[in-house]
Amino acid sequence: MKIIGEWFVLLPAAVLLLAAGASVVMRNLIHAALCLTLSFIALGIVFIALGAEFVGFVQLLVYVGAVAMLIVFAILLTRPDRLTKSGTPFSGLGPAGGAATGFAALVVLLAFIFSSPLAKKPLPAPASAPVAAIGGALMGNDVVALIVIGVLLTAALVGAAVLAMEDKP
Amino acid sequence: MTLQILLSISAVLFAFGLAAVLSRSNAIMVLIGIELMIGAANLNFIAFWRFSENPSDLAGVMFAIFSIAVAAAEAAVGLAIIILVQRRIRSVEVDDASNLKG
Amino acid sequence: MTGMIERAPIEILGWFLGLLGSFGVPGWILAAVSAVIIIGTVIGIFLGLFALTSVMERKILARVQNRYGPNRVGPFGLFQPVADGIKMITKEDLVPRTADKAVHFLAPVVMMVPALMVLAIIPYGRDMVPAELNSGILYFFAVGAGTEVAVFMAGWASNNKYSVLGAMRAIAQMISYELPLVISAIVAAMIAGSLSPSAIVAAQGGFAFGFVPQWFVLTPWGFTACLVFYIAALAEANRSPFDLPEGESELVAGHLTEYSGFKYATFFMAEYVGMFAVCGMLVTLFLGGWQAPLPFLTIVPSWCWFFAKVCFVAFTMIWVRATLPRLRIDHLLAFAWKFLLPMSFAAFLSAACWHYAGRGPLAWLLSLAIVGIPYLILGNSFTNRFAVSRRTYQFSE
Repeated sequence: MKIIGEWFVLLPAAVLLLAAGASVVMRNLIHAALCLTLSFIALGIVFIALGAEFVGFVQLLVYVGAVAMLIVFAILLTRPDRLTKSGTPFSGLGPAGGAATGFAALVVLLAFIFSSPLAKKPLPAPASAPVAAIGGALMGNDVVALIVIGVLLTAALVGAAVLAMEDKP
Repeated sequence: MTLQILLSISAVLFAFGLAAVLSRSNAIMVLIGIELMIGAANLNFIAFWRFSENPSDLAGVMFAIFSIAVAAAEAAVGLAIIILVQRRIRSVEVDDASNLKG
Repeated sequence: MTGMIERAPIEILGWFLGLLGSFGVPGWILAAVSAVIIIGTVIGIFLGLFALTSVMERKILARVQNRYGPNRVGPFGLFQPVADGIKMITKEDLVPRTADKAVHFLAPVVMMVPALMVLAIIPYGRDMVPAELNSGILYFFAVGAGTEVAVFMAGWASNNKYSVLGAMRAIAQMISYELPLVISAIVAAMIAGSLSPSAIVAAQGGFAFGFVPQWFVLTPWGFTACLVFYIAALAEANRSPFDLPEGESELVAGHLTEYSGFKYATFFMAEYVGMFAVCGMLVTLFLGGWQAPLPFLTIVPSWCWFFAKVCFVAFTMIWVRATLPRLRIDHLLAFAWKFLLPMSFAAFLSAACWHYAGRGPLAWLLSLAIVGIPYLILGNSFTNRFAVSRRTYQFSE
């Protein structure tokens, strides 16, 4: 990849890691949710820069347009700021424990990545996943998965609506 | 731009998600951590597809698309459950949902 | 001659780049300069349209209401945007003390950026797309999802009950109307066989029987999809009759309550630019884009036809605002989920049957039936529920 082409992936990836890190440590929940939205946008741009444009646009549409809005609505509906009993936003393993576990997982993963011969591949020519091919695969080879996803999403939406409905007195 | 760099980026993202799940007390932050981990897995799929020898085999791309759809469904149901639990125990802290009864 | 006028913008840009290139400017700087010029031109045109529309809307609303609009500043009041701009810039920028400063500041920016970004994929004339994307329609909706985040940021950061309430209603409205919008756009993409706006415009070329344009709006499924897209676009842009989130009589100004001065002007600008962008998409998808309506009218340049159509659609949006009353939030959401969504599915099915039945006369009748029957059933179910019974008077004896 030319030097400029490489930065199309590395720059959004840097934003992604910064925003994700920020969202994990922030005390204000809404700020954390907005940083998460930024990290979703950056991840979508990384997908587009890697050549999987359809996945990138779907990531932007679904995650930023729907999941981020869901998280934000849930924060608004549960109003956690007034309900914190413990003084800190951390619990369970605590910030040190959580960071240590995350770091340990990172070390293990990096060890596998840098020792595996599979990951030493050279960069092939730019690939593209044309939407027509994805559509053909969805309707041809993976049609069972598509129908199952449709049923799953319907069940999840109906279930979520029923769960969150107020009980009629 | 090697495959190792992309996989390392997704490993760091996964570590962030794991730290969030294990150390935050708010249930919604735990869900945010889960979404970060799913995003890291999707990045892995797309990275391996990009570096594969025949990119016309769209298995990685299809897996990422279905994973995004499933993550959206899971976020919806998870948030509905959090709202419902908050109505019962008046709190969204994961430590307060400690009664096995009721 | 007409070919020269039509290709004038491209030729001028090419001449200028050639001039720069003859000075020994390297290739990538030429590409960057070309991009900056194109972006500047598009944004300049749309901001100019925004200024013109802000006064034309008030004048058209006024004329519908049998009064003059602004007519003091300049001939026929046409310099009113200048006066409005000076007012907006010189107003004091109030930020509530307990507001979330960073989010409050960023909300207008996050609102404006997607509105401007979607202008990149609209074909303004023959071979005049700023960014030729194979999945342009998908880009349009993916970037448009950014406006919802901005609305929430604006409502939340103001730390005001009415703002949060207005923001939640606005987001609920935008999410509900996004589905019919996307599905009716997919109808046009399906028949054209591509997600690229240029390909969709090209698929509407040619003239049947020698003089009837083959625009998608002139088919039963296309007409339905166009109307569904139009109504959903009105709701996405928070325009009347769907402007409950920012209705002054209901919620002060909804999520925009705590914004004043230039930030309010930015929101206003983003709403109008978004309205024009979605009008441009409607023209591209259903009204034939830059194609001329009759064969002998092709002498008029293609970009003239495009902007004429966009201005016509924007005029109808202003007309609708002047005519129809505001919808209540529950009526609005019920309309989206129980009428528009089934109608968009019916248009989808109708378009598919039209295509597979061979596009002949039988296909036209079949597609008309598939669209007409759900419309009659759903329309009746709506009118029956809200039917006003005959008034009876009872006088005391």
